[in-house]
Amino acid sequence: MDTVQTLILGFIGIVIVNNLVLTKFLGICPYLGVSGRIDMAFGMGMAVTFVVTLAGTLTWVIDHVFLVPYGLEVLRYLCFILVIAGAVQLVEMYVRKFFPPLYESFGIFLPLITTNCAILGLCLFLNLWGIDSLLEAVVLSVGAGVGFTMAICIMAGIRENLELADVPECLQGAPITLITAGLLTLAFMGFAGMIR
Amino acid sequence: MSNNEKKNPVLFFLQESWLLMVASIAFGCLLACLNAAWAPKIAQNEIDKFNKLAGNLIDTATQFQSVDEPIPVDIGKGKVYNIDVKKGIDADGNIVGWAFVCEGSGFADKIKLVIATDAAFEKLAGFGVLSSNETPGFGDKINIKPEDGGFYQPQFIGAPVGKLELTKTGDPGKHDDDQIVAISGATVTSDAVVKIFNTFLVPVKEAMEIRGLL
Amino acid sequence: MSDGTSLGKTFFAGIWDNNPVLRLLLGMCPTLAVTAAVKPALTMGFSVIFVLLFSNIVVSLLRHQLKPHLRILMFTLTIATAVTIADLALKAYLPDMSASLGPYIPLIIVNCIIIGRAEACASKNGLVVSIIDALGMGAGFTITLCILAAIREVLATGKIFEIPVMPSAFTPWAAMGMPVGAFVTLGLMLGGVNLISKKSA
Repeated sequence: MDTVQTLILGFIGIVIVNNLVLTKFLGICPYLGVSGRIDMAFGMGMAVTFVVTLAGTLTWVIDHVFLVPYGLEVLRYLCFILVIAGAVQLVEMYVRKFFPPLYESFGIFLPLITTNCAILGLCLFLNLWGIDSLLEAVVLSVGAGVGFTMAICIMAGIRENLELADVPECLQGAPITLITAGLLTLAFMGFAGMIR
Repeated sequence: MSNNEKKNPVLFFLQESWLLMVASIAFGCLLACLNAAWAPKIAQNEIDKFNKLAGNLIDTATQFQSVDEPIPVDIGKGKVYNIDVKKGIDADGNIVGWAFVCEGSGFADKIKLVIATDAAFEKLAGFGVLSSNETPGFGDKINIKPEDGGFYQPQFIGAPVGKLELTKTGDPGKHDDDQIVAISGATVTSDAVVKIFNTFLVPVKEAMEIRGLL
Repeated sequence: MSDGTSLGKTFFAGIWDNNPVLRLLLGMCPTLAVTAAVKPALTMGFSVIFVLLFSNIVVSLLRHQLKPHLRILMFTLTIATAVTIADLALKAYLPDMSASLGPYIPLIIVNCIIIGRAEACASKNGLVVSIIDALGMGAGFTITLCILAAIREVLATGKIFEIPVMPSAFTPWAAMGMPVGAFVTLGLMLGGVNLISKKSA
C-alpha cells in the first residue's frame, strides 16, 4: 500500500506540483511553437509522453546497471543523449511502419523531440531526485509526459481564444504566449506544498 | 563476387562511421583524463563545504572525523538514510561536538542540513543549510545566519536534543526550550526543518549510545 | 580588409540581428531558468560560450570528413563532451554556482543554439569564421541573459550581484524571482524588441 501511495503521490506531484513546463522551465521551445491549435498541441503532447516514458526508463536502467556500478558517471550525459536520440529514431521507424494512423497524428513531431529539453531534463531529474525503484521511474516519466500534455493543451485553448482578442502588434506571437504562460505558472503555484 | 559482397557491408560500415568511432574514443579519453584530474578537487569541495558549515556551528573544532561506520536511520516507507556522523575535534584531540548531514522535503524541493550538537549530544549547536530551494523572501529565511540578523536559526542553538515543537506565536529570543517559532509566511518551510530534526536527532543519538560512542 | 568587416559583421549579427534568444527564439529554457540573479546568468553565459567555441572549432576542423547522414550524431557527441567538461570544471572551481545551476548545465546539450550553429555555420565555414560566429552568438546570449537577470534581480531583491542598488524604502517584488516573473519579463522584452525593430524598419 505504501508503494502505491508513493507512486500516486509522485505522479500527481510531477503532473501538477512540479510540472516540467510551468515550474522547471523545460520544453519551452515546442511549448511556444506548437501550442497554436489544440489538435496539434495534443499530438505533440502524445509524442512527448511516448518518448519521455521510453527515454526515462531506458536511461534509468542504463544508469543503475552500467554507469554507477562501474564508476562511469562521467559518461552519463553522453550516454543519456545518445540513448534519447536512438530511442526517438527507433520510435519513429516503428510507429511509421506499424501504426500509420498514429504516425499521421504525431509522427511529424518526433524528430523535433530529440532536442526537447523536457526529455533530457526528466532523465537528469530522475538522477537528481535519487529515484531508486524502476516502477517509480516509469510512473514519473509517464507523469512528466502527462503534465506536459496538460500544460500545452491549456495553452492551446487559451491561444485559440486569444486570436479573437485585440493583442497589440508588437506582442503578437511569442511575447503574449510567454506572458500567458507566466500567468499560468502563477496559477499553478497554488499547488505548491500540496504534497510533502 | 559473393566474397566481395560479404566484405562490403562491414567495409561500408567502417568507411561511414570511422570518424564517429575515432571521435568517441578520443572524447572518451579526454573526459576520463579530466575526470581523473578534477575528481579529487570535487570531492574536496564537498568536504570543505561541510567543514565550513559545521566549523561555524562548533567553533572550537579544528577538524571533523567520521565515526567508523554510517548510522542507518529508517524514516519509514522503506527509506533508510545512512548518516555519516562526524566528531568535531579541537587542537588537543578532545571531542567538542558532533555534526552530520541529513535531509527532508521542504516546500519546493529537498532541504539538506548540517546539524551540530555539543560533545555530550545533549544540546543542539544549531544547523546550517547545505542546499535548499525555498521561496525567496519567505522560506529562504532559514538560510539567514545568526550573525546576519536571522532569527530562525539561533532558536536551535542551545535547544535540548529531543522532540522539538513548532509554534506560530511565542518568544523567538528564548533559545533553551524545545519551542521553535515559525517564520511568518513560511510555516511549511519552518515545519520542514523542525521535522528533519525530529526525524534524525533521537534515532542517531540512540544508535550512538548503543555503539558506545557517547 | 573586407575580411575584417565581414568578420565584424558576423560577430555583431550574433548580438542583435541574429540574437539567439530575442530573434531566433532559441535556447529559451536556460534563459528563463537561471536568470533569477545575475551571477548564475553570467556563469551560464560563459559556459555556453565555451561549449559553442569547442563545438564550432571541432566541427569546423572536421567538416570535410563529415558524412551527411551521420553528422547530427557527430555534433551531438561533440556537444555532449564539451558540456561534460564544462560541468566538471564548474563542479571543481565554482561549486556554489554548479549547485545553484543544477541540471541546467547538462541541458546545454539540447540547447538548440549550439546544434543550430554547428549545422548552419561551422559545418560549412572555415575555422576563423566559426570562432567569430561562436563568440558573437555566445555574447548575444550572455548579454540577453544578463539584462533579463539584472531586471529580475533588482526588482526581486533590490540588489545586483548581491550589492544593494535600490533605496531601502523599496519593497522587493518577490514574484520576479519566481517563474511568473521570468515568463512575463521575457515576454515584455521580446515585445520591446519587436517594437524597436519595427520602428527602425
